[in-house]
Amino acid sequence: MKLYVYVIRRLILLIPVILGVTVITFILSHADIGLLIAGYEGKTRSLAARLIVIHELHLNGPVYVQFFYYFTNLFTGKWGYLSPTEPVDAGTPVFTEFLRRFPPTAELSIIATIFVIALGLPLGVLSGVKKDRGVDHATRLAAMVGVSIPTFWIGLLILILIGPKGPLPHFLQVTTEGQIDFLKYGFTSSGTLQPWVAVSGASGISRPTGFMLVDTLLYGDVPAFLDALEHVIWPALVVALTSFGVITRFMRSSMLETLGLDYIRTARSKGLPEKIVIKKHARRNAYGATTTVMGLFFAGLLSGVTVTEYVFGWPGMGQWLYTAAARADLVSVMATTFVFTIVIVIANLIVDLIYSYLDPRVRLD
Amino acid sequence: MLYFLTRSPLSTAGLVITIFYVLLAIFGPIIVGGNPEFMREVLYYNGQYIYNTPLPPQPAFPFGTTYGGFDIFNGVVKGARIDLEVSALVVFSGALIGSVLGAIAGYVGGTVSDVIMRITDIFLSIPFIVLAVVLLLVLGKTLTSMVEALVIVWWPFYTRLVRGQVLTAREHKYVEASVAAGASPFRTVLRHILPNSIYPIYVQVSLDFGNVILTLASLDFLGFGFAGQNLAEWGNIIGLATAGGGGVETITSYWWTILIPGLVLLILVVSLNILGDGIRDVTDPRSRM
Repeated sequence: MKLYVYVIRRLILLIPVILGVTVITFILSHADIGLLIAGYEGKTRSLAARLIVIHELHLNGPVYVQFFYYFTNLFTGKWGYLSPTEPVDAGTPVFTEFLRRFPPTAELSIIATIFVIALGLPLGVLSGVKKDRGVDHATRLAAMVGVSIPTFWIGLLILILIGPKGPLPHFLQVTTEGQIDFLKYGFTSSGTLQPWVAVSGASGISRPTGFMLVDTLLYGDVPAFLDALEHVIWPALVVALTSFGVITRFMRSSMLETLGLDYIRTARSKGLPEKIVIKKHARRNAYGATTTVMGLFFAGLLSGVTVTEYVFGWPGMGQWLYTAAARADLVSVMATTFVFTIVIVIANLIVDLIYSYLDPRVRLD
Repeated sequence: MLYFLTRSPLSTAGLVITIFYVLLAIFGPIIVGGNPEFMREVLYYNGQYIYNTPLPPQPAFPFGTTYGGFDIFNGVVKGARIDLEVSALVVFSGALIGSVLGAIAGYVGGTVSDVIMRITDIFLSIPFIVLAVVLLLVLGKTLTSMVEALVIVWWPFYTRLVRGQVLTAREHKYVEASVAAGASPFRTVLRHILPNSIYPIYVQVSLDFGNVILTLASLDFLGFGFAGQNLAEWGNIIGLATAGGGGVETITSYWWTILIPGLVLLILVVSLNILGDGIRDVTDPRSRM
């Protein structure tokens, strides 16, 4: 099968999965109709508003009609409104809130993934190559503790460590709450307003990407960039610490499996230096096998991200999910669930495509 | 199997610590006394009102107290029972449901398998904590709904695992022989296929005990547990440390309210994982390599 045929086939197979995901979110969001209606009412709570919502969502129609309107609303961005009990943004459309909340989460996840790939993969390779040596034991123990450690706990411990009264030297300590210290760069500090200060669309200043690290660089504000970096590093480290174990362990075992294969023996017996054998022959194939577990890894990573966001006050989807769930704000909770699931489905697709590119054998069936 | 397990010092340590926690779960609440589900609350100590000032570890409170005047030692001991109870319920029901579905998918194949596996895929694509939070919102905050939510989160892992096992096992000659001898599919699966693919399920079960405890603790930490703040569950005890408000500064001053319950949790989960790895090494020597 040609690569493009495979890509098209995988894209077509995506449709039932996305449909299935919406069925599940449909069932869950219609499990408590009262909460659902409240979520679509916006700021006004009245009988008239409720009747309008019931009419708009066709809640008095048969289930398939309800599903049809649910589905259309989902894909046209009509996700309801934030609960009136929300202290700051009551009545904001959920979709707008999603656009604001998504970039910080993506930023945190990407940095954490970079950590895992930069540290977890090489550790796995090293551990496989130096089997049963000190490095191997240390790595395996670290990976074991990594998968066993509660995310929220290590997050809190790191907060204590880097916090103002922590044992770290003063220059390593950071203000750890949220993304960046807005007061430091707002009107108060130098009298000049840095362009990216607008958090939620205040005073018409635009945030081009929503990614703190990118925005600050786009505006050429180096101190702010460093500040943003300082804030993202620690939560990203927490996420990476709790999710690198899976990848490292899998990389180790696929390294060991590859190193036992015939062509490695051939490569060695023809006199290639061990370094080349590992780098060019073994590692590449082990990478291929490790890609297959990336899907489950992403699901775990995002679970970790949501908890870490809550602990560090990171203004992303995870924190939104928990505050919304605590206020029984059903539409927000369902929106985050839907987004997370779609992200993972797409991540899985990309992983599959990379794998089929790395290892053409999977395209055969 | 026990003999082989105790050959490795690491697995032995895991086994011993796990047994210690199980004993703690059984006898702990009886020894420390009081309601086995809720922590002991001490509002006055030495004439001082300690609701808002956690006391550091001292003879009267070996692990100190946390916000609300809760005795951490008391809570940690009682927590063993709740955590192990919930995780046992979740893991065994999840494994049972998942294995049955996986066995059906693997043995029957065709459309049935496709449908089951697509549903499994969808459940596996939702981050498990997110799914659990949604389910708790819909089901309500009780211990039963916590167990139900975690079972709904957990079964798909087993379906996928068992299906793979059954697919491999059904190619064997003894399955063919069983079918040729006129055994019903039910009997073939139950008597011949499942027993021969059970070890990976054991391994997964032992590893999942730790995972469920972690998830339960996270959910309780986030405040999705049941019955309010005095529940003796490790995640909930850690969550209380942040209940005082004041953010980083206060938790820095009262480090023991976080460190100690977390360590108790971590030691159990690490031991369970070591034990799971040990069981895998014993049952599948190839994975040792």
